[in-house]
Amino acid sequence: MNYISQDLPDINNQPAAKREVLNVSGLSAGYGPMRVIHDLDLVVKSGERVGIVGLNGHGKSTLFYGIAGLTGWQRGSIKLNGIEIGRTRSQGPGRYTHEIVRAGLALIPQGDEIFHGLTVEEHLDSGAFTQRAWRERAQRKQRVLQIFQPLRKLMNVPVGRLSGGERRMVSIGRGLMADASLFLVDEPSLGLAPKIGKSVIEALMGVELGESAMVIAEQNVALLEGRVDRILGMHAGQLKGEASAATLAIHDYAGG
Amino acid sequence: MDIWFVISNAIVLACIYGTLAIGVSITWSSLGLLNLAYGFIFAFAGYGAWLVSQHVSDWGPVLLAAGILIGALGGVLVCAIAFIPIHDKPNYTIRGLIATLAINLLGTQGLLWWFGPRSKTLPEIFGGWKISLSGMVLTADKVGNVLTSILMLIVVLRWMQSSRRGLEIRAMMMNPHAASIVGIGVRRTSFYVMAITGGLAGLAAVLLSQTYYISPFGGLTPMIKGVSIALCGGLGSVRGAVIAAIVLGLNESITTFAIGGQYVLITQFLFIIAILLVRPRGIAGILDKAREA
Repeated sequence: MNYISQDLPDINNQPAAKREVLNVSGLSAGYGPMRVIHDLDLVVKSGERVGIVGLNGHGKSTLFYGIAGLTGWQRGSIKLNGIEIGRTRSQGPGRYTHEIVRAGLALIPQGDEIFHGLTVEEHLDSGAFTQRAWRERAQRKQRVLQIFQPLRKLMNVPVGRLSGGERRMVSIGRGLMADASLFLVDEPSLGLAPKIGKSVIEALMGVELGESAMVIAEQNVALLEGRVDRILGMHAGQLKGEASAATLAIHDYAGG
Repeated sequence: MDIWFVISNAIVLACIYGTLAIGVSITWSSLGLLNLAYGFIFAFAGYGAWLVSQHVSDWGPVLLAAGILIGALGGVLVCAIAFIPIHDKPNYTIRGLIATLAINLLGTQGLLWWFGPRSKTLPEIFGGWKISLSGMVLTADKVGNVLTSILMLIVVLRWMQSSRRGLEIRAMMMNPHAASIVGIGVRRTSFYVMAITGGLAGLAAVLLSQTYYISPFGGLTPMIKGVSIALCGGLGSVRGAVIAAIVLGLNESITTFAIGGQYVLITQFLFIIAILLVRPRGIAGILDKAREA
């Protein structure tokens, strides 16, 4: 496992060399009359694994959908690799999502957002939608299969016939196929047996990030503890506190 | 009138209606748009092919290509007017229905105004030869219709199976939301879909013009049949549409043979109602092996 370094203080990781992969500032988003995200700020640096914990209905998924441009409306700034991808818009969810994906976002959504009639292989192909990822899709598939060994035997099976755990592997594998610099993983263990959920999390930790970064939203704090670089708490549409894996110090973000 | 005549007619009709039904089915399941402008695209492509036959060339392959291309153009036009501006607005399904219906009415009236009420005929595309096979007489237009539509469908389906754009379209047919998550642009894909389905309508228009005339309202009945076959096959399933086309083509030619052509729509809809009572998701409900999320 390559998360040994997380026990060291942040200073040893040479923060100057780190690039900002994601910079969200003043993001508000919601659906129709409902405002789910309230003036949220979030910075994620390259090489980081960040956990976001919080209860149901406090906006974890909406934050991810907002970054992907899939909420009903949104305003505020979202910078991905320095490129502005946040737009103030009042309608048109998903209209710019393909451009955001091309800019380097891989969203692994909650639950089974799968194409039930496609085979596992086609499914993985469908994740490789940037030009480069499509050209390299054979190698990328091998890399995903290395992480999710059980999928090897299922390559020609329609995804609709897989079990819940296998589906989740396919869904995560699809996200990992992308040529992304930011992976957003929404509740990877939801609805899975504890043992399988844990192995899915382990697999996510086994992904080599390199220059990219990963944000994992999860309800089960125990699953993330000691495995990610920072844990942020989400409450009522705002990030309320931060615990770095090294210090477990709580900073209050209130009022931000 | 013998059994072979009924069967050969059934196959010809099944091929042409199947082409239309697959177009309707793909549009519905990938764009969520029940394209009621299909009849207009059909007539538009028919008149386009007629113009080509008058001014450019009346060689068969040219007319087929012209029909397909002009149909594709019509599809793109409908997409630009009726899909792009409204596809992410609230209540899109109903708006799309109304928009395409409006295009259909306006378009057919426009054709009526431009070309006049007299229907046109296309020259014989496949020539006038005949083969006699042990009592069964195969005319050129029947053989040509069947071969051309099957060839076109195979090309389209192979393309959808093997190419990247095809993968995009199939992904969008199964789960549009997940499709946008993986980075499939809905707007661009919609142009591909509408061009392909428009091309299928154009092909059907040219093929059907070998039996019927081209008239401004000539697309209405084929469209109704295409939509009902797509419904019967299970909207979104290509295989279901093919099976439904065969069954309903058989029904049409048997009805014409046994009790008369004016009862075709009656028996057809009775048949569809019976199927949908037993299988609410159409014939595809039996075929579908994968369960939905």
